[in-house]
Amino acid sequence: MPPVPMSARPWLGVDGLSKTYGHLTALDSVSFSIRPGEILGLIGPNGAGKTTLFECLAGVLAHAGGHDILTGDGPGRDRSDLLFYVPDGITPWPDQPLGWILRFVVGFLGGRAEWHDEVVNALGLAPLLPQRMGALSKGQRKRALLAVGLLTPQPLLLIDEPFEGLDLRQSREVAATLRWHVSTGRTLFLSIHQIHDAARFCDRFVLLSGGRVCAEGTAAELTARAAALRGTDEGLADFEEVFLALT
Amino acid sequence: MWLLAKEWRELVAARAFWVLLAAMGPLVGFAFIGAVQTYAEASGFNGTAAGVGEAFSPLVGVWAPTFSACELAAVFLLPFVGIRLVAGDRQSGALKLELQQPMSSAARIATKALILMAGWIVASLAPLVAVVLWRIYGGAIYAPELASVALGHLLNAALTIGLAAAMAGISEHPSTAAILTLSATVGTWIVNFVAAVNGGWWERAAAYTPTAMVAEFQHGLIRLDVLLVAILLSAAALLFAAIWLRIGVRVRRRGLESAALAALAALAIGAATHATRSWDVSEDRANSFPVADEAALGRIRGHLSVEAHLAPEDPRRFDLDRRALRKLKRVLPDLTVTYISATSIGLFEQNSPHYGEVWYALGGRRVMSRVTTAEGVLEAVYDVAQVAPPGDTGTLFRGHPLAVPPRGAAWVFYGIWPAVVAGVGLAVYRRRR
Repeated sequence: MPPVPMSARPWLGVDGLSKTYGHLTALDSVSFSIRPGEILGLIGPNGAGKTTLFECLAGVLAHAGGHDILTGDGPGRDRSDLLFYVPDGITPWPDQPLGWILRFVVGFLGGRAEWHDEVVNALGLAPLLPQRMGALSKGQRKRALLAVGLLTPQPLLLIDEPFEGLDLRQSREVAATLRWHVSTGRTLFLSIHQIHDAARFCDRFVLLSGGRVCAEGTAAELTARAAALRGTDEGLADFEEVFLALT
Repeated sequence: MWLLAKEWRELVAARAFWVLLAAMGPLVGFAFIGAVQTYAEASGFNGTAAGVGEAFSPLVGVWAPTFSACELAAVFLLPFVGIRLVAGDRQSGALKLELQQPMSSAARIATKALILMAGWIVASLAPLVAVVLWRIYGGAIYAPELASVALGHLLNAALTIGLAAAMAGISEHPSTAAILTLSATVGTWIVNFVAAVNGGWWERAAAYTPTAMVAEFQHGLIRLDVLLVAILLSAAALLFAAIWLRIGVRVRRRGLESAALAALAALAIGAATHATRSWDVSEDRANSFPVADEAALGRIRGHLSVEAHLAPEDPRRFDLDRRALRKLKRVLPDLTVTYISATSIGLFEQNSPHYGEVWYALGGRRVMSRVTTAEGVLEAVYDVAQVAPPGDTGTLFRGHPLAVPPRGAAWVFYGIWPAVVAGVGLAVYRRRR
């Protein structure tokens, strides 16, 4: 896949996505856009609806509303051609060795066999390949799940909390690996609750709070918006303050 | 192929599967050893009355009890294997990854069912060992009746797998699915019990419970309606599971789809119950009248109706139904049978003037008889139909007596089988690591 430069033109849109659990509204008419080749960060506190949003987009959770939530001219008409979602906190196929799982992902999900060795080495998984998935530590499991996602063929990857459970060194290695994948033409949409991590890593942001999109844009755009709201840019050098001002 | 490989690996990794395999040997062994011992004693072993076993058929004497261990395993062990395979993906989160592959949910669940059936066939090696031992002892084997028993238990396993998959599909947790599956099984037992007490529609429904279905096959009778109902029920249950495993589809839509499936399945099953074809594959024609009688009955034209004044729990009704009317229905599919009684046990109806009467009506003629044996029923039918009974009804089935104890079977089933299962299990576990 040739590298795709980040463009200002929306590539994929989410339009009016809602989700309720009984009387509780988890997502309230969520709309935003994704541009090709970007790293879009979904930022929000715990319970903001980040995972719910990802699961609705991936089609593994039913959403309210009768219209198609995905719009735009992204490659592939089917959701399964377009995006792949890597959930957080799961231990899939716990009795199988990681090596077999990665081969299964390539075979069953139509993944990229030619990237297998590179992904394994980049994420430091080589010594873990004979280990059962269920026997891996939290951080190891997170890297294994990232490998599963990176081996899939879809151009858009939704990753729930990619740095959760990783130490500083591992976080940096994972960030570098993800950036390399973006340079090959992939688009990333990452849910991150650590705002500093997100600020360092993402190109643009969608701020989610209480199931609603509070703001969308680059760090500079969001900072300017927060400054306009507050009437001053004092203290807004810290992205956490920007987030608090906008949510 | 990848999904097949994955499901097989998941099956082999499941402890429940190894428990099923390990338990199958001793279960089958216990039943087989007891059956062969009884068969040997009835055949004259250890100075018992030789000749009693002349009418013995290995189908009733050995295969039915031996394979009944499979029924036990299908009820109490197989559901857990099925639930583990179906619910495991949801519990581990793998389902969220697999659902992103655009494969139909029905294909996914069919793959799981296929692998579970393969697992059941592996577990069925235990009764196969019993067959080999029986052959070594010099026992007679009549392949069609043995195949009938095996088919019955295979269908029973398919039903169990379907039920377990359906329950795993609607449950968030495997333990809930296990409780629901066992509840459904107990429910079928209750249907059987109520049918025995109340008769009527309950009795008709009870004919299609797994227990009743297996019993038919164990008697060497393959009924097309039972076969179709079992297949339809299994398929409907698997489709139900497929509907509910699509976790990305709204619950209301899945509910509507389930209702439509239930309606379609009910229609198809209703139609299947009208199939009258059946095959008696028992060597001693246990489910048929003698050939000469069947030829004579075949000459009867018109609609025969039987009205029996017998209560559901009256042993005479059981005799009449099992030993005569079921055979008659195979020759005369248009036969109508009506049971009339005021109570369930009939004990307090004995003084009623008509209790115990069985009326046969054909072409305006009516004949009454109180005999409930096959011979008595045939006599009444010939009488009402004004058909001459055949003179010679052929030779009597002499059976295959075998006065040989189950030598070595205990070693095989209680020692070698568990050791082999443990050895293979350990090897698989080490290889996986």
